[in-house]
Amino acid sequence: MATEVREKNEISENESSFLGTFVSTYSTIPLHGITAIPGKIAGSLLVASAIEDAVPLIHGPVGCAFQRKINPFRPYSPFYTTPCTNLNDVDVVYGAEEKLSQGIVETYRRYRPNLILVITTCPSDLIGDDFDAAIRNVEEEVNCKVVYSTGDFVGRSRPIGYQDALYAITDQMLCNGNKEVEKNEGSVNIVTFPIHGAGVKVAEMTSVLGDMGIKVNKVCFDHTRVEDLYELNRADLNITDYPMSWAKLMKERSGVEHYEILGWDQYDKNKDPELLSPYGIAGSSRVFMDIAKLMGKEGMAEEVIRNRRREAEERLSVLKKDLEGIKVAATGGMHGLGLSLLKDVGVEVSILIYRMQVLEHRLTEEAIEEIVDLNMNLANKYEFDPEPLVNPTIEEEIEAVKRSGTDLVIAPSTTSHLYNREGIRTFDPTGFMLNHQRVGFECPVELCMLLKETLGTAQKRTPLLSMLEYDPHAYNMTPHWAKLSLAFNQLRSGAIDDGRVCEDRKPSEVIIDEPNI
Amino acid sequence: MSLIYDPLHDCKLVGALRAIHGIRDSITIVHGRTGCHCGALLLKTLGSDQNNVRVVGSGFRSSDEVYGAEGRLASAIQLYYEYFKPQLIAALNCSAPVIMGDDIHGVASLMKEKIPADLITMDTGGYEGPAWIGYEETLAKVTDYMIPHERPSGKINLIGIKTDDINAHGDVIEIKRMLKDQGIEINTILNDANFDEIKNAPKASLNVVLGGDGLACARIMRERFDIPYITVSFPFGIKKSIEFLESVANGLDREIDTELVDREVELVKDGIERVYMFLQGIYAMPVAVIGEAGRAFDLAEFLSDELGLNVKILAISSKNHLTSDIIEDGNDHFGRVMIEPDRFEMNDALKKAGVSAIFGSTFEKKVASDLKASLIRISYPVLDEVSITDMPYAGFKGTLHLCETIINSIITRTLEEVEG
Repeated sequence: MATEVREKNEISENESSFLGTFVSTYSTIPLHGITAIPGKIAGSLLVASAIEDAVPLIHGPVGCAFQRKINPFRPYSPFYTTPCTNLNDVDVVYGAEEKLSQGIVETYRRYRPNLILVITTCPSDLIGDDFDAAIRNVEEEVNCKVVYSTGDFVGRSRPIGYQDALYAITDQMLCNGNKEVEKNEGSVNIVTFPIHGAGVKVAEMTSVLGDMGIKVNKVCFDHTRVEDLYELNRADLNITDYPMSWAKLMKERSGVEHYEILGWDQYDKNKDPELLSPYGIAGSSRVFMDIAKLMGKEGMAEEVIRNRRREAEERLSVLKKDLEGIKVAATGGMHGLGLSLLKDVGVEVSILIYRMQVLEHRLTEEAIEEIVDLNMNLANKYEFDPEPLVNPTIEEEIEAVKRSGTDLVIAPSTTSHLYNREGIRTFDPTGFMLNHQRVGFECPVELCMLLKETLGTAQKRTPLLSMLEYDPHAYNMTPHWAKLSLAFNQLRSGAIDDGRVCEDRKPSEVIIDEPNI
Repeated sequence: MSLIYDPLHDCKLVGALRAIHGIRDSITIVHGRTGCHCGALLLKTLGSDQNNVRVVGSGFRSSDEVYGAEGRLASAIQLYYEYFKPQLIAALNCSAPVIMGDDIHGVASLMKEKIPADLITMDTGGYEGPAWIGYEETLAKVTDYMIPHERPSGKINLIGIKTDDINAHGDVIEIKRMLKDQGIEINTILNDANFDEIKNAPKASLNVVLGGDGLACARIMRERFDIPYITVSFPFGIKKSIEFLESVANGLDREIDTELVDREVELVKDGIERVYMFLQGIYAMPVAVIGEAGRAFDLAEFLSDELGLNVKILAISSKNHLTSDIIEDGNDHFGRVMIEPDRFEMNDALKKAGVSAIFGSTFEKKVASDLKASLIRISYPVLDEVSITDMPYAGFKGTLHLCETIINSIITRTLEEVEG
């Protein structure tokens, strides 16, 4: 676990740009919520694999172990170790608690882990195995902790398997009243989603907090071990990316406060769009000040933030001269490159593009309007005056880009070629998000340098990807995948009623021409 | 034997999916929880036919575990028909709805009147059996849709092709070429064909079962349509390619054109000549072969008999109906044979065997890396290598491609990577 965190600028040189490419290569698969949802097993396996001395035990049939080796969160890194209890039809009839108990003992003997994370599956859930009892039966035979995750502990918190496994660990292992902990006064935990580079992404945050007199107790997940988890509740505060059920539980049981970088709860109260914009100089300043307030360090924090901010702004003032007058088309919504960052680097946001087709199947009209308003309000706040384009076709976008004299489109690598062939340069927000975007003052400086680099690269006029046909609306996908996505979302949203209604429905009532993805 | 099991093979669902997905105008609906659908989708998407992924979910939700999801499946069938206009829709019932007792066969009966596509429904709960059983049962089920023909065409059906095997497309092209050169035409490939072609499979005079995969289908076709079948080796290398051609020709009461075969062998010889020093260099190299029964036995024999490698371990990741016969017959080209072993135990055996190369799947990547052995990705599933050219591993051309791949897997590495 990284308490000895590295300073940021090491990444590009030492962490290898290949890692970024490796991740990006798979980031174009339209999976999460677009054409599929990874099940709870995958999320729980993500937790098990993020703890170096933990081993999962899947209480289910072979398919639940073999197929789940594919890691939908990181397809480049399979879950190589997925032992299971190999449930068969006899087990489904007579129950498999005994099998689970024996499986736990064997798992311990085989792998000698410090934690066995039992992950239940559809069959074991439905047959009503008493997991808790099965574990208690063999607790004394294994010299490690055994925790089980069913997916039922966390309601609708997503990703369910990930949330549930962490909740289970907190509930059954960390905050079960069995262990007294000595507090590490004035310290925080930084707990991020276990994707690559977690340690690097929080390096600057750790450094800033240190200057503010706030110690970092633990950073998860970065070479995290079970002993590190046991020390989590020594801290005064858990800092997470977004609301986590386990953090709320730890507050209830151990009094460790929690703070979410994406302030959904706070936003709900006062609708300040900046609460959902934790990046850039303003966003980072706010986040650091929020943390300082919770830790009672406002006084020292103000000065630290001021100094860090000044340093970054001084560097930016030089760097951004080359970006003056550069017009950028940005993407609105919840996951675009933050407008605050674009403000920091001194470009002008000339167009704001919203692609809401997927969300239209999941959110109410009001919610979608709120997202559009949220982005426009932010744009106004930063004194941008963008032309909003809602669900435009690529032709409409390109026409608007050319008409407005926009120099650069913030477009992921899935659609870059469509602009490039028209002589329009693009900047990949996904790569930036995966490799650079984080709370801190270095982030806008990096963005500034990357934008400058992009504007100086050769124009790509004949990309092979442009040879393919794309869906006119979801133009990051071929028509085939657009259909997969549309159908998936229609079924998921209930836009298509179930068969109780279906029997009486005419085929035309299935909305097949809807072009929204 | 351990109770816990880290499997080398998938469940019935994926076996069935692999069989159905080979029918080009089909759609497979995974009627189960999101994880089953997502996993199946990824298995297809991470392969080399990304714009031809035809596996979808039924929209099953956790709340359906209380009330059932037959209605949801009905809606999904209708919706996917409207979107994709497939000739065949297969609904595969996963563990949760099977346990709940969803009557997907009843749903299909109802929907048959509403959509002009054929429907196949199968119970493929994870606990109901391994992938190979799902594959066999699905191919067998497909025979229900076949149309009897009175006069055989003199052509053959090739049974046991799995389109998601690495280089499967190239293998099919090469096998077709070899047969065509011998004047033998293929009627239908099961399953790498349109549904109409599948329906017309009984036009063939002979079913040729590759490596034993799809044997149940061939047996049913013999009973139902009076089509004889032969089982043949998967044509890895020269010897097995010739055996393959001879077996097919014999099955049709014909002789092969040996001149043509000699010419093929000469071409292989020309290729071998160009890298003979490296082939000398890897002669007797200790290797392991991990793969499905339909291919792995034949691959291991080729590596041993023709390339001179020392196959220390042969791990059959997934059996078929011929596996026990092959084991009984014995074969001194294989060292230790492990049938559907536990991965932990297999990895342990690999470590003890000290192999320099592993012929396996993506999931052997880590053990290969731990052992500093080369990994030649040749067994299902290959999810970290693409193949979009027509280069085969099968047949005469495949012999050279395999040699090329094996040599490159050794010589492209750095000393630093393998030292210590």
